[in-house]
Amino acid sequence: MDTQQEPRKTFVVPIGPQHPALKEPGHFEITVEGEIVTAATMRLGYVHRGIEKGVEGQNWAQAMYMLERICGICSHVHATAYALGVEALAGVQVPPRAQAIRVLVAELERVHSHLLWLGVAAHEGGFDTLFMYSWRDRELIMDVLEGLTGNRVNYSCNVLGGVKFDVDQTQADAIRSAIDLLEPRTHHYMKVVTTDETLIGRTRQVGTVTAEEAARLGAVGPVARASGVPRDVRVDAPYAAYPTFPVKAVTATAGDLEAKFIVRLEELFESYRVIREILDNLPPGELSVRVKPRIPAGETVSRVEAPRGELFYYLRSAGGPNPDRVKVRTPSLCNWGTILATAAGHKLADVPMLIAGIDPCFSCNDRLVTINRRGDAETWTWARLRQYGIEYYR
Amino acid sequence: MSSAEKLITDAETLLKPYVVGAFSRTSVGVEAVVKREDLPPAVKALIDARWGYLSAITGLDHPWPKTAKPASKPPEAQAEPTGPTEDRLEALYQFASGAVIATLRVSVAYHDATLPTVCPIIPSATLYERELQEMFGITVQGTPETRRLLLPDDWPENVYPLRKAFKGLA
Repeated sequence: MDTQQEPRKTFVVPIGPQHPALKEPGHFEITVEGEIVTAATMRLGYVHRGIEKGVEGQNWAQAMYMLERICGICSHVHATAYALGVEALAGVQVPPRAQAIRVLVAELERVHSHLLWLGVAAHEGGFDTLFMYSWRDRELIMDVLEGLTGNRVNYSCNVLGGVKFDVDQTQADAIRSAIDLLEPRTHHYMKVVTTDETLIGRTRQVGTVTAEEAARLGAVGPVARASGVPRDVRVDAPYAAYPTFPVKAVTATAGDLEAKFIVRLEELFESYRVIREILDNLPPGELSVRVKPRIPAGETVSRVEAPRGELFYYLRSAGGPNPDRVKVRTPSLCNWGTILATAAGHKLADVPMLIAGIDPCFSCNDRLVTINRRGDAETWTWARLRQYGIEYYR
Repeated sequence: MSSAEKLITDAETLLKPYVVGAFSRTSVGVEAVVKREDLPPAVKALIDARWGYLSAITGLDHPWPKTAKPASKPPEAQAEPTGPTEDRLEALYQFASGAVIATLRVSVAYHDATLPTVCPIIPSATLYERELQEMFGITVQGTPETRRLLLPDDWPENVYPLRKAFKGLA
């Protein structure tokens, strides 16, 4: 029991779970002493749709379409991780051209996702000009993806055993010209995020995660690499066409928010390079092979590098026409731990940037209720918390 | 020796004192069955030696009698320590290092569905353990946070959606 004699010094600030303007809900309880965060916990599951259970009632081919809908930003990597796993269980060899097209779409998806993140992170930092520029440029990639696949979100590129569509010369040229436009823009953004005083004030030495912590907390993807932990499934365990078109893992050492900007922007250059290389050296041949509807009994693990880090699939077949178990572990889940561990000691005003820093697939925060010691509550909107953060640093 | 082969040998050396039966090679690495009381020391052995990181904890439900046809009997049916003659739950602790996945398999009966926590060794495992508790009803003893993570507040007690018997709420 709290003593009545001594006034309470800490507040619990519940953030979330609902906000119509953001994509996904999450709930955070941030404990603050004055301005300083002393502890953070979270609650997920507001958009838990039971997909792992759902696919147990689907056949192997149908399950892919459901799994592709786990994420609206990186839908392709989900279908790819699943398809690679099923193909491993079925023991089929996917044609090299199909694998190259999978990687091509995966890298285009990474470009759109990182540009999306750049905009969101800039917006949370109060730098809306950068947000608008980066989202304008992202449209170039969205147009390319739509031209290639017919869709802007769920590309539906994969089938079990290959891909659905080919890349012709016109499409290849369209991709090349989009990349040619984006490359100098990305150089410009790199200059902005490393030299703009206002943005640096929000990112440099903020939310620092040491290499030791990142490794211990199981961070993956750009969050781990920004702390100097070179985890990248494309490099560690190359899949699809990555053995033919290798990428190098981009790392930084600072581990702060600025390093997360730098790593993601550097990765864009690496993606541009690989996309060009694939277009120039697309292997000839078939687009798919037949996979029988019943998959032999067995189990496997399939890992791919999503834009946010390692995406983990465990697949188990009992030999029947539908999956016996599909386990999905998305990269955001690994990276939450770094926020919960590093939020303590930061200012409440830094919390929106810390959350944006891991590029959570994007858990949002709506009402913010501050409860003061007299017990009367005040409700803040996400917009107000964001504004508070911007005003605080003005 | 290739780097993957070295990682597998290293994992086998570290885990040797804790495993029941032999290691078996998988398409992505190596796996072994451990008793639940040996789970924390086995995890600690890997982490102390900096052998990779905990990539996922996967829950599995093995109801008995199996409804699947005998021909499609899954391979680990023989590997389970006491033989699957009762309803059992299994947890796979999957560690990743480079291209290799080392899996620790722990099996518990429905009526005694508890596992020790690994959070003192890997603090970030809390999210995985909470998921395992909610979805499969395996009580993770000593896990620091037991409030619901994923299921809604009004979800009924003792209903575990990823068990095979679950066909939807009435």
